[in-house]
Parts: sequence; C-alpha cells; structure tokens
Amino acid sequence: MVSPSQKPSVYSNMAALGKYGGHCIQKNSRFLLSNLEQLWGHRSFGWTPALRQQAAEANKESTETIVIPRKKTWSNVAVLEALASTVSKDPTAYHYQFQDDSYLSPRTTYELKLFALSQEAGRSAAKYFVNTNPKFFTKDFAEPHIPCLMPETVSLLLEEVSEEALKERIHLRKVTAAIDMYDQLLQAGTAVSMETSHELLDLICFFGDSDPVEGEELQMEDSEEFRMVKKKTKFNQPSNLQCTWKDDNNAERIFNLLPERDTRCYSALIRGMVKYGAYDKALSMFTEMLNNRLTGDVHIFNALISVTPKIQNTREKKWDLILELLTQMSQQKVQPNLLTFNTVLKCLSQCGPTAKTVALSILTEMKAIGIAPSLATYTYILWTFFKTASCAERNTDILQEMMLELEGTSFTCQDPDDIYFFGSAIKICLQSKDLELGYKVQSLVEVGENWRLLGDSFESSIYFGRFFSLLCQMEHIDVVLKWYARHVPSLFYPNSQGLRDLMQALDTDDRLDFLPAVWKEIQSLRHVHRPNLLEELISLMARDKHSPEVQESFAMCALEIKNVYESASRAKYNPTWSSMSLSNITTLLLRANKTQQAWDMLKLFKANNKVPSDDLLEDFLSVCRSDSSPQRAVELVQLSASFCLQSTQRLATRALAEFDLTEEQRAILSELESAGEPAN
Amino acid sequence: MAASLSSRGVVRLLGALAKSASLCSSSGGRALHVTAACCKNRAARVRVGKGDRPLTYEEAHHPHDIGHRKGWLSQNTSNLKGEGGAADRTMEDVFIRRFMFGTFYGCLGNELVIKRRGNMLIVCALILHKLPPAKMYFLIGYSEYLLSHFYKCPVKLDIQTLTSKAVYKYL
Repeated sequence: MVSPSQKPSVYSNMAALGKYGGHCIQKNSRFLLSNLEQLWGHRSFGWTPALRQQAAEANKESTETIVIPRKKTWSNVAVLEALASTVSKDPTAYHYQFQDDSYLSPRTTYELKLFALSQEAGRSAAKYFVNTNPKFFTKDFAEPHIPCLMPETVSLLLEEVSEEALKERIHLRKVTAAIDMYDQLLQAGTAVSMETSHELLDLICFFGDSDPVEGEELQMEDSEEFRMVKKKTKFNQPSNLQCTWKDDNNAERIFNLLPERDTRCYSALIRGMVKYGAYDKALSMFTEMLNNRLTGDVHIFNALISVTPKIQNTREKKWDLILELLTQMSQQKVQPNLLTFNTVLKCLSQCGPTAKTVALSILTEMKAIGIAPSLATYTYILWTFFKTASCAERNTDILQEMMLELEGTSFTCQDPDDIYFFGSAIKICLQSKDLELGYKVQSLVEVGENWRLLGDSFESSIYFGRFFSLLCQMEHIDVVLKWYARHVPSLFYPNSQGLRDLMQALDTDDRLDFLPAVWKEIQSLRHVHRPNLLEELISLMARDKHSPEVQESFAMCALEIKNVYESASRAKYNPTWSSMSLSNITTLLLRANKTQQAWDMLKLFKANNKVPSDDLLEDFLSVCRSDSSPQRAVELVQLSASFCLQSTQRLATRALAEFDLTEEQRAILSELESAGEPAN
Repeated sequence: MAASLSSRGVVRLLGALAKSASLCSSSGGRALHVTAACCKNRAARVRVGKGDRPLTYEEAHHPHDIGHRKGWLSQNTSNLKGEGGAADRTMEDVFIRRFMFGTFYGCLGNELVIKRRGNMLIVCALILHKLPPAKMYFLIGYSEYLLSHFYKCPVKLDIQTLTSKAVYKYL
C-alpha cells in the first residue's frame, strides 16, 4: 500500500500541476487507483477516459505484469459515446421525437400514434417533393458528402431496350416496367444474363406480380384490429390467408421461358408462392425441383416448413411433414439456419403442449450446431408450454430456467417474432402472480439495447401494462408509485384497467389519501369520460371517513367530477349519472361541510330521476341540525316525501323532535308524519 | 414583416428617385443619388400611431437596442474575424424566414431565431395555437425534411407554442 508520506504529494500534484499530476498518476496508476477508490469511492477528478481505461486495465492484471499499450485508437464517435453514457433516460419527458411543449405533447396512446404518424406523413410529403424536383436539391454544400440528404432517383433514365435498363427498373422496383422490358429484350433476341433473370424473378415473386403501392406501409399501421385478430388466431385454426397468387402469372411464364433453371429460380418461385398463399403449387414446384435433381437451399426449406401448419390439420401429420422436409434437408446437405429452427418451433407451438419435449430437444440441437437462439425461439417455446386456454399447468419452471439463462444477454432483432417475447413472458408472470420473475424480465428489458425488442408502441404498452398490473397486485404501494413515476408518461400510458389496478393497490395498502393524485392522473391521461372509472374513484373516496384535510381534498375532487358530468360544453358525450355516484358525491360534500353545494346536488337527483338513499337524508338532517336551519330541515322532509321514501316518517319525527319550528312548519311536518303512517 | 418592409422601402426609393428627378430638372446636372442613409432612420421602427396597434417586444424596440435590450435573431459565427461565408449565411436565413412564414402561415407569433451549432441549423419558432397538434407535426416534419435536404445539414425545429401573440405595448 502507499505510505502516508506519498499521499499529500499526490494531492498537491493533482491540484496544482495537471500535467505533472497526470504523469504521476500514470506512473503510480495501480497504487493510486486502489488508494483513491478507498477514499473517494468511484468519483473521477477530471481523469480522461484514456487514463481511466489504462488504470482499470492495470488493476485487473494486478497479478501479472502491467502491459501499457503503445497506442490506443478510438473510433470517431468515442467522445460522443462517453458523453452519452453519462446521460440516462429522463422519466418525466415524453419521447424525444416530440416537441418539448405542453400543447404538442401526446397525453394518450392515441395521441402518441397520431402525432408520430403525422410527423412521418409530413416527411413523406417532403420526400415526394424532393424526389419529384431533384434539380433544386442537387447543389452540394456538405463536406464530406452526405448521400442520404441528396434526392433519390425515382424516375427512369434509360429508355432504350437493353439489359442496363432492365437492371435499372429492377433496382427502382418497377415490376410491370421490368416485365415489359424483359419481354422486349426476348423479342429483340438479346440474351439476358442469368444474374439479371434471377433478380427479375426475385422481384416479381416478392411483389406478387404487381407494382408496390406507395402507401402500403401506412396501411399496415391502422391494422391494430388486424393484429388483435391475428393474436387470437395464434392458437386456433391456422389462418386462411387468401390465395392471391394468380394462376396465369408472369413469374411462372418467365420461369418457363428460362433456358436453364437452377436452385435460385426455384427458390424465388417457391417463396413467392408461399408468400401469396399458393401452398399446393409450392409443394408441387418443390417436387418438380427434386425430380430435376437439383438441391434446395435453406430458404426453400424454411418457406416449406412454414407452410406445414396451413395445409395439415392434425398434429401427427404436421410433424410427419416437417420431419420429411428436415430429412430431405439433411440428405441434400443444406445447413439449417436460425430461421429454420424458428419456423419448426413456430409450427410446433401451434400443436399445443403435447409438443413440449420435442420443442426442448430442438432447442438443444440448435445450441449443439452452434446457432445462438434468438428471442423468437424462446417465444415459441413459451407458447408451446403455456397455451392460453388451459389453466391447469401453472408451473413456471421453464420460464425461470429461461430467465436464468438469458440474464444479462443483449439481443438484436433477428426474427420478426422477437417482439412477442417480453409480452408473453410477462403475461405468464402475471397469470402465475410471480413477482420475482417479473422483475427478472424487467431487468432483461433494461440490458443494453433490449428495449428495442419491445416492439412498437402497441406491443410495448401491452408489456408495460401487464408489468404494472403485476406490481399493483403484488407489491407495496411505495414501490408501485416509484415504478409508476419511472414509466409514466415516458414509456407508456396506463389505460383505465391500469388505473383501476392502481386504485385497488392504494386501497389494499390503506393509502386512500393518494386518490386526488389519481384523479389528476385520470385528467391528464384523458380518461375523464369513462364512467366506470369515475364511479369506482368516487365510491372509494366516499366509503370511509378520513381526516379533515383529506376530506377537503376529496370534496374538491368531487366538485370537479360533478363538473365532468354536468359540463355544458360537451353535453352529448357526458357520462350519465347513476344514483350511486350522485349519493357518493353528496356524501363527500357533506363530510367536508360544503352544505350549499350538497343542496344543489339534491336538485340533480330530481333532474336525473334518481332516488337518494335513506342514509344520505339522515346525514343531511344531522347537518341541518348542526347548522340550525329548520327551514332546510322542513324542505328536506318534503323532498323525501316527493320521492316517496320509506324514511319520510322517521325523518319527520326526528325533525319535529330536534328542531324548534314555527307553527306552519310543525303543521307540514305532522302532516307528512301522519301521511307516512298508513303506508307502514 | 420582411415582406411589408421591403414594399415600404420600394416606395421610399421611388420617392427619392422622383425627388431627385425633379431637382435634376430645375438646377440641371445633378446626379441620381439613391441614399441608404435615409433608410437608417426608418428601418425596423414602428411609428407611433393611434394606440390600437399591438406590438411584441421585438417589434417595439428599435435596432439600436440590439445588444442592449434585444438579442440577435440570427446566431452564427460567420461575422467573426477570419470567418467566411457571412453573405451565404444571410441568404440562407432570409430563405428560411420566408419559407417558415409561408409554411406556418398565420401561425408564427414572432420572428424566428436561427442558430447554427456545429453543422446543425436550429430554427426556434413561436407558434400560435391556430392549428391542432397533429397538423403542426405534419408541418414540422415537412419543414425539417425539406430544409435538411436543401441545405445538406441537419435542420431541427424548436417549437414553443403560445395561445396568442405576446403583446408588449400598443402604439
């Protein structure tokens, strides 16, 4: 260890002469690091990243000789990366693509999608303008040249009948123009190279023999219902995709015109047929290929395996077909890749929980070959084990093992179905009410870039909603509120079910004084016009008596909620009163001594044809007594008589007994009392 | 703002021309002299009127207050010693102001502030609540993309919204 005499010199060096200090630090890096870490924890006083790197490396190799590299090269963005590592996510801000202004911040999931898509629409409008008028955007200021800010060529340049023109059309994805050019080339008699014909076939089969529509990406966005439907049919009958592969196809025609057909041509055609729903044709094309003694490639086998569940219904037949394809694959010495295994597992997941052992054996084989499984692999295994319908098995062992294995791994997206992993995993945790497992899943989300695999706003809102429900059910309220502050509103917006879970959690932990804050959240999340939510909120508030400050805050909320029901501006969309909500609001107002407003509420009862409860009127009478307003008491009894309540007589008796009334009032009350008697 | 000013300036130039032409005819042999010195007394100054014209802080203060009570609307380093491209930056700024004035027509609450930081162009605008937020985002995405492709550098819009123009005084 360092002797005490050396320490002061180190301090003065560092403070006074930075350069000399740096030199000293470099020389005594090992001693300094251990020393300073003891004293100051891990604070770094202006150490450059290079020095800290060297010091850290030196510390690790304390048992071996220190090897200081002669030169260390950094990437271009090393400084930016170091700066970025100091900043973490701001939980109070909305997504950074939105402007930082309250008018322009999205408050609900719908607004988030709307704003993001409208911004994207603006960009596409500008892109269209830029690409159709490239002559205004060709002047190049940028040094070095930035290719992504130049206009893209969307119009065809070459018009003559040549292979270059064909290549250009293929590159610009103009399907019909490419087919016409090819036909013209054939008529002219020029031979088209094999490479170009491969690409042409790929193009036609990918786009299904029609030009790609411009707004097709946007069309997929508003298909949330489509996605919901797709989810439901996962475990049911395989979806019947409409067969849009035309019978008299350009692809098949050109295929037949080719002088020689090799694997790649067959691959393009088979994959196109699978994509557009012509499954039987795909299989027959496959057998034709085998008859011509050609070997398939991995893409063909992947496509055919994905077809299996759509053409076979029973589990045995499906598995037999898959096995047959896999044996052929191994016979032809085609190496499987990640997608092969994923497709097999996907088909098995539709077979149900009977395929568990097979699924696990496939996973082990995958690892034995050396292909790293992606999240989609694990998703399919989860689907195999945890079918939604059966509630019998709640054994989450498989998920526990999975989380143990995946801990700390960071993933990239290799399969489109990777995004369903976290949603499925957290659903299993929610159903089995396993909080520890939920935390493990959340920690996996927080590793590195794994948040990208949460999917789009819809999928990630599902994940966070389920995680939040799990927390509300199982965790202490303080922890729940901490997670709430962390995730809302930067990562997701809770729906009304989430807010109800939150209120339940508050109720369980007896923190009902937090309810006014929940009301504020309801207002900011724009859930104000959901009557179920409002009624639950009010009934929770009105259930028990609380301390005066809390009662006061409840009364303020009650008044605001009343305004929601009675607001004149959006009278068409106002929720309708129920007698429960009316009574509850009146009770809250009474408890906070807002008598005048409570009286106004009574008038609302009549207006909405709802009957107040007996307890409410009893409370009113007591309040009148404390206020000593006998006139009010008489009005109250008359009101109850107009509602033909049973307690009229009791109220009248009480009023006569407790108040000092004028003769007139006595007369009215005795009349009401006696009127009530024969009915009893 | 700039559009109206230039039309007034044109009127003044024509007036100066007419005056000098009349002088020419009477005394004979006077050269045509269109002076800029006259315009310095009229530039960016709103004259006192009846008291019903609302002015923002920016409009109410005169150009000699820049650096004292006003800041700069265009912030770049091209005017420092040894730096070049001042004229290009000015032209770019003029174009950007007209472009934004037209794109967000009727919604701009005040002059734009244009900052150049690194290779980025940051356009700070005060926008009124005339449009719903979705339409504003459409225009924001459109302007950012178009200006980036025009100037070959990242252009960011920094929008702050107001319910109405911030009136400083009435003249």
